[in-house]
Amino acid sequence: MTKRSVHLTVNGVDHNLDIEPRVLLSDALRHDVGLTGTHVGCEQGACGACTVIVDGRAQRSCLVLAVQADDAHIETIEGVATQGLDHAVQTSMHEQHGLQCGFCTPGIVMSLVAAHRAGVDVETAKDTVLDGHLCRCTGYVNIRAAIDAAWSTAGGDT
Amino acid sequence: MNPLPLVGQRVPRVNDAAPLHGTGRYVDDIELPHMLHAAIIRSPVAHGHLTGFASAPPPGVTVLGPDELAAHIHGQLPVLWTLGDQRQHETPVVDEHLRYVGQPIGVVVAQSRYLAEDAAEMVELTIEDLEPVVEMAHALEPDAPALYPDLGGNLLATFDAGDTAEHTEAVFAAADRVIATTLRIGRVHGLSIEARGIVAVPEPGGRLHIHTSTQTAHAVRDAVCEVLGFAQSDVRVITPDVGGGFGLKDHLYEDELMVAIAALDLGQPVKWIEDRFESLMTTTHARDEIHDVEVAFDDDGTLKGMRVKARRNVGARLAVFGGGPLFTGLGMAPGPYKWEAVRCVGQLVATNTMSTGAYRGFGQTQAAFIRERAVDLVAEELGHDPVELRAQNMIRADELPYQMRTMIQFDNGDYEAALRRASALISEAADPPEDGRVRGIGYCSYVQMAGIGPSTLNEFIGLSIGGFESAAVRVEPDGSVRVATGVSPHGQGLETTIPQLVADELGVELDTIQLIHGDTDTTPYSAYGTAASRSLAVGGGATVVATRRLAEKIKTIAAEMLEASPADIELGQGQATVAGTNIGVSIADVARRAWQGFRLPEGIEPGLTASHSYDPVSATFSYATHACRVAVDTGTGEVTVEDYVVVHDCGTIVNPMIVEGQIHGGVAQGLGAALMEEVMYDEQGQPQSSTMLDYHVPVSASLPDIRIEHIEIPSPYTPGGMKGMGEGGTNGAFGAVVNAVCAALPDVDWTNVTTPLSPQRVWEAIHAQS
Repeated sequence: MTKRSVHLTVNGVDHNLDIEPRVLLSDALRHDVGLTGTHVGCEQGACGACTVIVDGRAQRSCLVLAVQADDAHIETIEGVATQGLDHAVQTSMHEQHGLQCGFCTPGIVMSLVAAHRAGVDVETAKDTVLDGHLCRCTGYVNIRAAIDAAWSTAGGDT
Repeated sequence: MNPLPLVGQRVPRVNDAAPLHGTGRYVDDIELPHMLHAAIIRSPVAHGHLTGFASAPPPGVTVLGPDELAAHIHGQLPVLWTLGDQRQHETPVVDEHLRYVGQPIGVVVAQSRYLAEDAAEMVELTIEDLEPVVEMAHALEPDAPALYPDLGGNLLATFDAGDTAEHTEAVFAAADRVIATTLRIGRVHGLSIEARGIVAVPEPGGRLHIHTSTQTAHAVRDAVCEVLGFAQSDVRVITPDVGGGFGLKDHLYEDELMVAIAALDLGQPVKWIEDRFESLMTTTHARDEIHDVEVAFDDDGTLKGMRVKARRNVGARLAVFGGGPLFTGLGMAPGPYKWEAVRCVGQLVATNTMSTGAYRGFGQTQAAFIRERAVDLVAEELGHDPVELRAQNMIRADELPYQMRTMIQFDNGDYEAALRRASALISEAADPPEDGRVRGIGYCSYVQMAGIGPSTLNEFIGLSIGGFESAAVRVEPDGSVRVATGVSPHGQGLETTIPQLVADELGVELDTIQLIHGDTDTTPYSAYGTAASRSLAVGGGATVVATRRLAEKIKTIAAEMLEASPADIELGQGQATVAGTNIGVSIADVARRAWQGFRLPEGIEPGLTASHSYDPVSATFSYATHACRVAVDTGTGEVTVEDYVVVHDCGTIVNPMIVEGQIHGGVAQGLGAALMEEVMYDEQGQPQSSTMLDYHVPVSASLPDIRIEHIEIPSPYTPGGMKGMGEGGTNGAFGAVVNAVCAALPDVDWTNVTTPLSPQRVWEAIHAQS
């Protein structure tokens, strides 16, 4: 299949990829860019594990072709902590035991980081934002506790 | 410095940083030089004979069909549990008799997964269709098509548990009344968010390395060797980070073996990652049982007898633990109540559907549900309060240890205290709003068998694996500690809790301890890995004993160094100190001396290691009462769980934060099975729930916050006192939620219940009455 060149800026680093047009953004990030923190749970847009931030908006990377993201600025879980400092969402997820097996965690963190930055209120974050993600380990109870804690923290980059 | 003891504290998990920063290493994160990628060719029909397999792969693509695969196969996959007159003891890896949609037939290997999937679509299968059997009732008809003609029909086993038919009949005849209910428990999928996956790597010297997302590395290794004819010492199975298991990843699957064969055939590493469509079709399903339950009781509310006839749809082949879930469920059916007779008969029925196997609860979720539903029916029949009826019949604290009619002996606890407290807590909830919905409160009291063995019991009940766990603890020359365990955490937090146990025994800081797990070359043998709520009860028990031995050795060497008696040495804060003095030596100094072998006390071996294989004298029994309040919209049938309470005892709690997290997750899975989760097939055996948009699991909005209270009565058996609890949340939630829905709609005829209670089923039940 004919390959296309795609330019992605991922966590501030430029990547010029030569890939088939059918390649999902999730696969390009994981296997071409080499950032495997973005997890693939369903490739059906249902679970949210593969969520990344594309030009400031949280998106499921399994529902985007890499070529559609040409010239986009993408943030993945690997880029959330800056200069060794965790985002409030990361800190709260740890402190509130908001993760168990950890597979869905990167996607949830990315959605919450985007919501936190956008000034989404805490109830919306717990309801609408978190409801876009499936977690099979936690029953969500401690993720909601983590959202409460993160939203009440002055830190982070809101 | 950590204040000791650590056991009992809410210690934050030590291994959260990787998933929170994207540096975890799950199986699909593994990249190796010259690695190829596989796709699996699967049966498109539920029942048929494969008569042709034709492929013309493009350059760079390899296709292995049934004949090529068969050339590598020397054995079948074992069924590790034999029950009653069971007729199936092993299952084929490749078989031209196609028995379910998704059955693996062959494997395609290419430079990428995309190319492998392209090539898989080009393979031409010729299939002679056979009539499928999907429902158990059809499968048991005399002239039904047989999945295994050589086994003489689709009934694969019948077994019983508990009292004789005669004794049970006598108890029923003497009782004042009898109620009967038929409970159909829907087929569910454990649905770990990470599906399965494997990287098979041929190594120099004829060894085979396998990286795979499994709960049980040693069992995978043993099965690989059984089928491929390798020596067990020549195969290394490594579990990377595992994104959830819940029982699904408790064995080696046929498609995984095909990937290993492809790697061996090509002499290159091959990776296969299951997609969600495949996972919902061909990763083990669970439950799919019909229970006919009768309960005999007296007019004063005394429970007298229970009779259960249960059938389980085992799908197209017995899973690795065969009828184990149904057998375990029937064995635990009596629960926390005193009965004069309990008799259970179980049957395993083959159909043209995916195999049903282990899933969180392993039959005990169903056991709690059928009993607690029946108990509610008794209370309703008599007009008694369901809490009081339960309390009236419960085994009292001073009657424990207590042997059930199914011969299992409970250890200790206070079942009524859990019930009373849960009842009080759920009654404290704020009054619901007047919003037109109807409300009900449901209860589920259960005792969970956790911490199984002992090994002799496993042998007695027909389970061909031992019930022990092992640990090897080593203080390195610099004083840091490595604990190698056979259990295999994948979310349960054992990377934190096992070191908590070790830190207290050795008096060292938590961050000096590393847990080594999930690698058959470097960890002790474990037949289970992490499963069955036994990692901390049995694996933790092994760790405690090994660590205590090591502590004694440290004290003996330190005593020699300090010219004191070993009995006077205390360990704490990284030091071995003469009691009541400031005279001490660091554990690192002791370790250096031990590993130098210099001037060691008489009879003390160099090095600083200890190991132990702990074979428990008994299983352990955690218990709880769950109580919840639901709201039902009678216009739509939609159920909302508004409040949820758990009062439980799992013995010594090593880390309350982690225990509560396990309960939360378990409740979510029990609630999902009660209200929404259902694997469905059409009448031709075609899967109807093959995406996450068709198979609904709970989202955050499905669950209220969960109020948990702990009762902590240590196990009389486990070194350390732990009872095990990972499955408890699921065991309680399924029954509690269903009972709450039934209580919310008292005018509906709930004599028989089919789960899940989806909005459609609830709506139909409401409208059936009018």
